[in-house]
Amino acid sequence: MSTSSSTPSAGSTPSPGDAAPSTSSTSRLAARGLTLAYEDRTVVEELDLAVPDGEITVVVGPNACGKSTMLRALGRLLKPRGGSVLLDGEELSRIPTRTIARSIGLLPQSPVAPEAITVADLVSRGRQPHQRWWQQWSEEDERAVTDAMERTDVTALGDRPVDELSGGQRQRVWIAMALAQETDLLLLDEPTTYLDIAHQVEVLDLVRQLNVDRGRTVVMVLHDLNQAARYADHLVAMKEGRLVARGRPGEIVDATLVREVFGLESVVVPCPVTGDPLVVPGPPRQSAAAGIPAPSGTLTSGKAPS
Amino acid sequence: MSTVTRPAGYALARRGRGSWLVHKRAAGTVVVLALALFAAVVANLTLGESTVSPTEVVKVLFGQPSPDELVVGTLRMPRLVVGLMAGAALGVAGALIQTVARNPLASPEIIGVTHGASALTVGAMTFGVTSYAALPYLSVTGGLVAAALVYLFAWRGGLHATRFVLIGIGFSVALRSVTQLFLTKGDYLVAQQAKVWMTGSLNGRGWDQAGPLAIALVVMLPFVVWSAWAMRNVTLDDDTATALGVSLGRNRLLLVITGVVLASVATGAAGPIDFVALLAPQIARRVTRTAQIPLLSSALLGAFVVTLGDLLARKLFAPTELPVGVLTAAVGAPYLIWLIVRTSSGRTSRSRSGAAQ
Repeated sequence: MSTSSSTPSAGSTPSPGDAAPSTSSTSRLAARGLTLAYEDRTVVEELDLAVPDGEITVVVGPNACGKSTMLRALGRLLKPRGGSVLLDGEELSRIPTRTIARSIGLLPQSPVAPEAITVADLVSRGRQPHQRWWQQWSEEDERAVTDAMERTDVTALGDRPVDELSGGQRQRVWIAMALAQETDLLLLDEPTTYLDIAHQVEVLDLVRQLNVDRGRTVVMVLHDLNQAARYADHLVAMKEGRLVARGRPGEIVDATLVREVFGLESVVVPCPVTGDPLVVPGPPRQSAAAGIPAPSGTLTSGKAPS
Repeated sequence: MSTVTRPAGYALARRGRGSWLVHKRAAGTVVVLALALFAAVVANLTLGESTVSPTEVVKVLFGQPSPDELVVGTLRMPRLVVGLMAGAALGVAGALIQTVARNPLASPEIIGVTHGASALTVGAMTFGVTSYAALPYLSVTGGLVAAALVYLFAWRGGLHATRFVLIGIGFSVALRSVTQLFLTKGDYLVAQQAKVWMTGSLNGRGWDQAGPLAIALVVMLPFVVWSAWAMRNVTLDDDTATALGVSLGRNRLLLVITGVVLASVATGAAGPIDFVALLAPQIARRVTRTAQIPLLSSALLGAFVVTLGDLLARKLFAPTELPVGVLTAAVGAPYLIWLIVRTSSGRTSRSRSGAAQ
């Protein structure tokens, strides 16, 4: 299955997470032979995936490769056409949705806040799976919401209406809501969309911090391959509804993978800051067509010399 | 401020192991509305063919002996009580239906209740059923059946808000032409009577209508209390709500059933009183500034609009009494427009369907 992970890089991997071995960990959430479809169009076919506990799994792939669809199925927003999603070995479709919500938190791609809702009110909605109509607020709720707002740095915004916030602030509020749910597993669908680069980094750093401090298991879909390589412990590359490669970014990201998954010629170099693989797209199409020779060898070899 | 104490703007009510969130501004609004409603009730009972002094009206209301007990308590009160209950029921029904449809324009009229009730009632009148003992039950049945059909047709592996509204409009238009057909086919006098019924009128309503309506409302009360909590979760978009463990399908179905039953029984008792279900929730929401429509405020506003509308309907062109439905819109609409104009300056709300891939 993982076709291109067979080429180990030539000793230049600066391995950020050298302590944790690649696939030893257990996994609470897994997909078995998962087939997903909208109406009559099959989007994901026969996909197997185990989400390693306590790690950040990032799913990448070209547009319409089924990555968001898969994430939705992992969070029971979409019913599988075939196969199943397992939480602690039990099929998601057999578990009451409220029980799932105590284990899996999910932030959709473009959540819509009710009009005029305040930040604190929205974040407190994350406590829903822990509440009943005769128990609408407990000290536990209070603690979780306060904590979630502090971690995402939105405490000072508490009284503000959500629709008056900037994109970056709003995204932090939504993440705070998902955090207030206090689930071990957190699924994020493109949490950096619509954000400028500084806010993207801010959100991703926050996710990383949650994973490190609290041992939260995170699965997120990202568009940016370099951000994926930087923040993932476990990278999953998809194409046309299938899993193309999975593993540590340093072990699987190379020019061959980028070409296979995205159809893009590129050079993969170690990132000057973290040492993770950094994908630099090759020269623009028309200059290649005009016969300008690419720097010899770099486009085809897996990694540039450091 | 470093610590958050419950969601901003809410107070906490505790009793034993129970705890309830109370929106402070909504609670204040309820107090103000209750006072306004009381004033409207007194005014409604004061003015009529003869004018009774407000002090005597208050005396009757609090069960003290008064020389005007016959006029106020026996003649005017029953009609007012029907109006109050119908208005409150319509206010709540509108709030629930607008919430599920995610559309401020949705109302019992849009999703087929009103037109279903009209079609069956007018049809029955045309075929000679004119007894006020039978008609309310027929219109309740008509409303329920029409709404159930709309819900059934809108269901496709889940309820899609837009489809719900569109199919509701389709059904309403079809049912309206059925009603028109009955009107043109039927007897002239029957048509006249049907027209009055179709505008929503409290003329001639009394304890006969109030009794069954009160029983229906008492039965529905637990559902309404539950709805106030369930609405909180249904206002979020589908994906977010599901991720938070809300069983959207079940919640929505129960909310719609509650709303449709309330709207149907109100329509059965007083005819389709226009615009109350549309206006009351929107006014209530804008006044309280809550994230979801406040049910109690909405009920009070519904009752208030009907009470005031009925007063105007009786007095404006006295001795000719207009049907209350003619004036409820005239009472509520200007206020709603003013509220929207006042609050919409500069703030634009993002609207997006939750059905993105």
